[in-house]
Amino acid sequence: MPKCDLSIELDEPERIYRTGDKVRGTVSVETDDSVKCKGLTVTSGWRTHGRGNVAKGTAETATVFAGLWEAGQRESYRFELEVADWPPTYYGNYVNVEHFIDARVKIPWAFDPKASHEFTVRPLQAPAAAYDGSREPSGCFVKAFIAFVVIGMVWVFVGALAAFIAIPWVGTVIALVAIPLTLLIAAKTVLPMLMLGKVHSELVDDFVTPGENAKVKLSFQPRRNVSINQISATLTGAEVCVSGSGSNRTTHRHQFFESKHELLSETTLQAGNRREFDLAIPIPGDAPYSFDLSDNDLKWTIKLHIDLPRWPDWSRELNVHVLPNGSVAPDLDPRLDPLTSDLDTDESALHESEVVAAAPPTDGEITFAETATHLWQSRHNESQVDLLVEAVLGMTFDMSVFVERRLLYSGREDPHVYPNGYAVWARHDNPPLPLVLYVPHELADEFEQAGRDKWPIRGTVVGWDREHDRLQVKVID
Amino acid sequence: MNVIAKQVESNAYPQQEAQRKDRRFDWQTPQCTRWQQANLFRNPFGELDRNERAELAVVDLEELVRSVGNRQPDGSLRFEGHKAFQLLGECGRGKTSRLLAVLRHVPDAEYVYLPEDQPCPAIPWGWPLVIDEAQRLPRRIRREVFRSGVPLILATHRDLTPSLRRAGYSVTSERIGLTLTPEKLMTILNRRIVASKRNDHLPIPTITAADAARLIQQFGTDVRAIESYLYDVVQQRVETDAEVRFID
Repeated sequence: MPKCDLSIELDEPERIYRTGDKVRGTVSVETDDSVKCKGLTVTSGWRTHGRGNVAKGTAETATVFAGLWEAGQRESYRFELEVADWPPTYYGNYVNVEHFIDARVKIPWAFDPKASHEFTVRPLQAPAAAYDGSREPSGCFVKAFIAFVVIGMVWVFVGALAAFIAIPWVGTVIALVAIPLTLLIAAKTVLPMLMLGKVHSELVDDFVTPGENAKVKLSFQPRRNVSINQISATLTGAEVCVSGSGSNRTTHRHQFFESKHELLSETTLQAGNRREFDLAIPIPGDAPYSFDLSDNDLKWTIKLHIDLPRWPDWSRELNVHVLPNGSVAPDLDPRLDPLTSDLDTDESALHESEVVAAAPPTDGEITFAETATHLWQSRHNESQVDLLVEAVLGMTFDMSVFVERRLLYSGREDPHVYPNGYAVWARHDNPPLPLVLYVPHELADEFEQAGRDKWPIRGTVVGWDREHDRLQVKVID
Repeated sequence: MNVIAKQVESNAYPQQEAQRKDRRFDWQTPQCTRWQQANLFRNPFGELDRNERAELAVVDLEELVRSVGNRQPDGSLRFEGHKAFQLLGECGRGKTSRLLAVLRHVPDAEYVYLPEDQPCPAIPWGWPLVIDEAQRLPRRIRREVFRSGVPLILATHRDLTPSLRRAGYSVTSERIGLTLTPEKLMTILNRRIVASKRNDHLPIPTITAADAARLIQQFGTDVRAIESYLYDVVQQRVETDAEVRFID
């Protein structure tokens, strides 16, 4: 088998890349025999490695060569690829996020030679969803949850009592489980409130930037004179990841930072005397950003704790979202590009992405090929896909597809399947956007006969299959 | 000391950092400096994606192939309808790795993982159809799938032979994870280490047969538990800049 050596060299290997930057470099190939290359592709993207299930994303792919290399030939190809906007580069204990350039030579009937080179990315801006998701659950939600628990406990007691009367030993078993559980929940929630009254705590800002303070409000009005050992706030940073799936799913947690602050030492609080604390907890200037990459998360939390002697303590955890605010953090590597040029690029990049997202809905004459192109380009960006699909939902198009395979089972709850009809996986002609086609029974012969040939159909967009990243199209007879 | 709290009431309170367990973050340090000494670009015993898991699986597919089809003179595989092969075994013994290895070698195969306590996902036609955690197939859907007659390769905790036979399948079963030799474990682990190698021209620490024997003594045939243990060993060594050794 011919040997094909691949190597990648970045123009600026030490540079810290930002949102909207391009990474430039050269991929070199050296062969010891003639090699027919179906394509030398170079890809920029990110991936996780470590304890958690792998998450990854692609920013841009380019094919820089296809053809024949002669024996002993050494060739170099330039590339310039977009850098993924998010997540930031991170090297930890359980979670690692690596931005990379991958090169791959597609060789027929042989293992594809590969090479990879990592680089560092520190984004100036997180995706909009990260900022939106930084709010704590609303009060309504929390109250509804507590009400649900209380009602559930009441029903368990009623059930246990009824069972105890009817079948004493069953009632005893239920009571043995339910009573300790109820006492435990009561100890955690109700008992501290008997001493402290209702304790209110909240984060003032939705997100905080490294080097700034996370502002927290804590207030309560004791119902009686109460001694306390300590009131404290503990800021922690932790990697939380999940490995395996289903019954093999395991969560791993590695705490890499802890800073405990005492707000009040041992004292006695007077009944009816309202206490309010405005906390400003410093986030380290070199703190890594929070991120949530499916099974690989980096979380910052503040745990508020009121230590009551000889009584269950009160505590609550608040999630702090440490995110970039659009400017360069002061602690960063001095090897950065000039700030102004970075910011300019960033703004233009954001503007561009908005234009892409907004374009299709405004055009009444849009073709399926255009829709498929937009979706294909945005397929790694969930929010943009949602936006695009929403825009074309219910629209009917002519399209050419290649049938991949029919489904033996398409999901019981799938309302799009025709009665006695079929669900079929297919892909669009160009770009090769994956599709789920809902085919009426009458067209069964037609799609069976299509085989691997192009099949012209007319269909209505009915949704997006998140699990398999496919556009759902209902075929019209 | 940082002023972290201001009580609205006039009384001042003592502020002190009772505990601080932080360090200067080095989360942005390129791996080449942290892992260079070990000639690795990542921890070899972390989770792998599906493709790489299949690529690195140490499995002999011949028996499996013979059970549901045959190998053609040109080396390609041909599968036959109404034939099923099921892998039975406990967690961490390599059932999923084998299934993924099948996918890698058979372009027409389709893989479906059935999650726990969730609705059954879409099940595409495949030749063969590979189903992981097949014991979770709801009865109605199981009948529908088995009725199709497609060749099946199943990983399951429960023997599905009766259902398969009723649907007209001839079934071959294999129980895996009953034995594990040091040589095989050594191959499994070293394949992962080599796949995480940074520089092909520099040496890399590897697992010896003696190391593997000691790991089997400690963890039995649970390869997942062995990999988990080794992840921590490697991580600790790299973090402390110590020489990477797997067994002391």
